[in-house]
Amino acid sequence: MSDDYLWDKSGDDPEVERLEQLLGGYAHDAPMREPPPRRRRRATVLVVSATVLAAAAVLAILWWRGRAPAASPPRQLAAAGFPYELSADDGLCGGPGALVCEGGTLGVGEWLETAAGARADVKVADIGDLTLRPGSRLRLVATGPAEHRLELERGRLSARVTAPPRLFVIDTPVVSTVDLGCAYDMEVDAAGRTHVRVTSGSVSLEGNGHAAWVPWGHEATADRARGPSTPVRSDAPAAFRDAVARFDAGGGGGAWSVSPLATIVDEATPADAVTLWNLLSRTEGADRAAVFARLDEVAIRPEWVIEEDVLSLQPDALERWRESLEGTWFLDP
Amino acid sequence: MRDATVAELVTAVQGGSRPAFAGLYERFHRVVHAIVLARVHAGDAPDVVQDVFADVWSRLPDLREPAAFPGWIVTMARNRAIDHARRRRPVSDDTADLAVSPPPAAEAAAALRAIRTLPETYRETLIMRLVEGLSGPEIALRTGMTPESVRVHLHRGIKLLREKLGGSP
Repeated sequence: MSDDYLWDKSGDDPEVERLEQLLGGYAHDAPMREPPPRRRRRATVLVVSATVLAAAAVLAILWWRGRAPAASPPRQLAAAGFPYELSADDGLCGGPGALVCEGGTLGVGEWLETAAGARADVKVADIGDLTLRPGSRLRLVATGPAEHRLELERGRLSARVTAPPRLFVIDTPVVSTVDLGCAYDMEVDAAGRTHVRVTSGSVSLEGNGHAAWVPWGHEATADRARGPSTPVRSDAPAAFRDAVARFDAGGGGGAWSVSPLATIVDEATPADAVTLWNLLSRTEGADRAAVFARLDEVAIRPEWVIEEDVLSLQPDALERWRESLEGTWFLDP
Repeated sequence: MRDATVAELVTAVQGGSRPAFAGLYERFHRVVHAIVLARVHAGDAPDVVQDVFADVWSRLPDLREPAAFPGWIVTMARNRAIDHARRRRPVSDDTADLAVSPPPAAEAAAALRAIRTLPETYRETLIMRLVEGLSGPEIALRTGMTPESVRVHLHRGIKLLREKLGGSP
């Protein structure tokens, strides 16, 4: 038996060869489907521009001749933005006293507000969609190949995005939610305090000089004073959540045995690896060493991630451990 | 086209070349399928693979650095697979794997289920190696991972898989 067979198929390893034979039936051999015609964005812009110019020329001629066009609704050219549909949260639209349900396009710089009992389903370019819940206020900040950016001033939304990491961002008054390919719910209260619960993939919460990595099954809250909190899994025991909240609130000092960090380290299970990983960069000295030791116990540390590099917060070491950790909590939602 | 680098193929596809796109498909469809199969029913996986490549075709003009393509398509495949898995039945419902034609032996289905219980990182790499038949160096080249990482993933993954399978496949 040779380890090289697993690596480069040299030598032999009957056990691996048998697995190959067993599993080879699942191998992919389907031919490529012809891709659809690609949208020609530049050409589209030129066509729109030509249309605008032509329309302007016609209007100019009509004005010059002193002949106004017949009364008709103003014709609007499609603006760059996100299409949306407004509806009643209970599904009832129209009728006396009921909500008016309609659609439109949210342009760059424009706000979309939902009244009590209303919601809006917004298409986020070609990468996903979101639902804006009742009593919310949302603005489209920018949209383009490099970034789609929104601002949620208040209220609640649920977003679902399939796109390369960092292409989709939602700002709130206190934090930026950077999509790493995921689905999540977020809520912003009147003070801007932002709560995010991730239901698929992961997000990075960034604000006030801090970042929190929040994968699916976890949640975090951000406020103006402290930025994003340390993420905890949504089903964490109350005592553990309380200890994390006390740690974030600055509940240190005193004897280690009664500190919130001691509770976190003592109570953490493999399911809390994400919390521990986030705590590495939120602790110092002996506290960080204690967090490291517990994380090393409950999660697999890649061989090439060196303890010294982690304790000195080398970005590459932290990132490689984070990537490795992804597998330890991943279960198909 | 056969001797072109990935970056050259990407640049050509950004310019609209369908032969170059076929070249990318030839080199990456197994990696994409492995990533998808790690999370999605075997019967659904081929359709998800085609969806990923449709995304690649439409979004590749936005990729600024052609050399970053391996990591880019890997992320896109993961996102697509996760999105699909969220809306479908759990993969533990292994009867759906019988949608593959011809149906794999029960032993093969059991081995695939065992791989799917492994940490994600090992899951993908093992499927690339054991299902798709890619060698370690090929996996590194196609995913953007370092050869050292792939080697570690394979060795740790196969160790865990052997434990899951009770010492013998």
